[in-house]
Amino acid sequence: MKMFEEKWTAWLDDELTGDELVEFEASLPDKAAAEAEKRDAHKLGAFLKEQLQGRAMGNEEFFHHQLREKIERDARAGVAGGKADSPRAWWPIGRLVWVGATSLAIFCICTFFVMREKGPTDQSQYLSQILNARVDPVVSPNATISMFESKKDRVTVLWVDGLQSLPSEYATK
Amino acid sequence: MHTEATPAQPDVSELDLVKQCQAGDSEAFDQLVGRYRTRVFGMIYNMVHNEQDAWDLAQDSFLKAWKSIARFRGQSSFYTWMYRIVTNVTIDWLRKKQVKGSGAEFDDAIQLTDIDPASRTVPKADPLPHQRMERAEIRVRIDEAIKQLSPEHRAVILMKETEEMQYHEIAESLGCSIGTVMSRLFYARKKLQNSLRDLYENV
Repeated sequence: MKMFEEKWTAWLDDELTGDELVEFEASLPDKAAAEAEKRDAHKLGAFLKEQLQGRAMGNEEFFHHQLREKIERDARAGVAGGKADSPRAWWPIGRLVWVGATSLAIFCICTFFVMREKGPTDQSQYLSQILNARVDPVVSPNATISMFESKKDRVTVLWVDGLQSLPSEYATK
Repeated sequence: MHTEATPAQPDVSELDLVKQCQAGDSEAFDQLVGRYRTRVFGMIYNMVHNEQDAWDLAQDSFLKAWKSIARFRGQSSFYTWMYRIVTNVTIDWLRKKQVKGSGAEFDDAIQLTDIDPASRTVPKADPLPHQRMERAEIRVRIDEAIKQLSPEHRAVILMKETEEMQYHEIAESLGCSIGTVMSRLFYARKKLQNSLRDLYENV
């Protein structure tokens, strides 16, 4: 659906035809005034063409010479001359998409392994339970418990010596 | 358009020249420049109203065309493609310069070009001095009126009225829709009619 401005312009330039032309002319409230404005617009066009066309460029040879110099300078710099800027110098979109997808996949895989290697850093449930436990001096009078921890290797060893019995609730689950 | 073929049937020799340019032949490009430099320069001059700026912008436009000619696929005429570069370069420049309609921008070059100081006699075909003066004054009025338009409106009215380009060619050159071109033409014409009516009614 053309707007009024578009229809008016097309009408002025005699580009409106068929039903569109009939409809548009019928919609004009004052056709005589519109025709007068059309003639006015044509006068403006002819006037602009007459006054603005044919602006001569002075010193055309120098223009060519200067342009050639710029092209040669660019070519010497290795950045110009059509070839340097040709599509071959640029990565096509398809290749860019593939490279992007591959990079993303590699990133995801690396992230997965790095995250997995870090692993859980919390203390284990068993360690907490044992540390909170008391050694019963009646049942195990000579029992000693030693703890060896290596944070670097994320390993904790509990060395229990002299324990004669283990309460049932601490049995291995 | 004056000389260019329609996009559907591009000029063969022009296409040959383009192909040679794409193969790196700068001589072929020189020929293309020779064909279009006057129109390119005229179009830019009518937009910026300064001979030196128009010269520099025409140089920039052709240099850009040379650098990107490998990407020209021949889907439109070379000139339409070239015009796209020209309008982009010029509109960018105008936007950067932020030319205001109120800014006084008189170009001495208008008179220098119109009147040859070395000529002692007036050739029969040339206008008389008072006619030249009158023409220069008219030109200043037109330039002032065009300066009131935005760069996009300037480009559209000049392409339509002085270059006689079709709507679709203008749209292609400016990278906008045909509807936008027609709408811009509507407003540009209205403004110029208001500013210049006394001139074109009496000249």
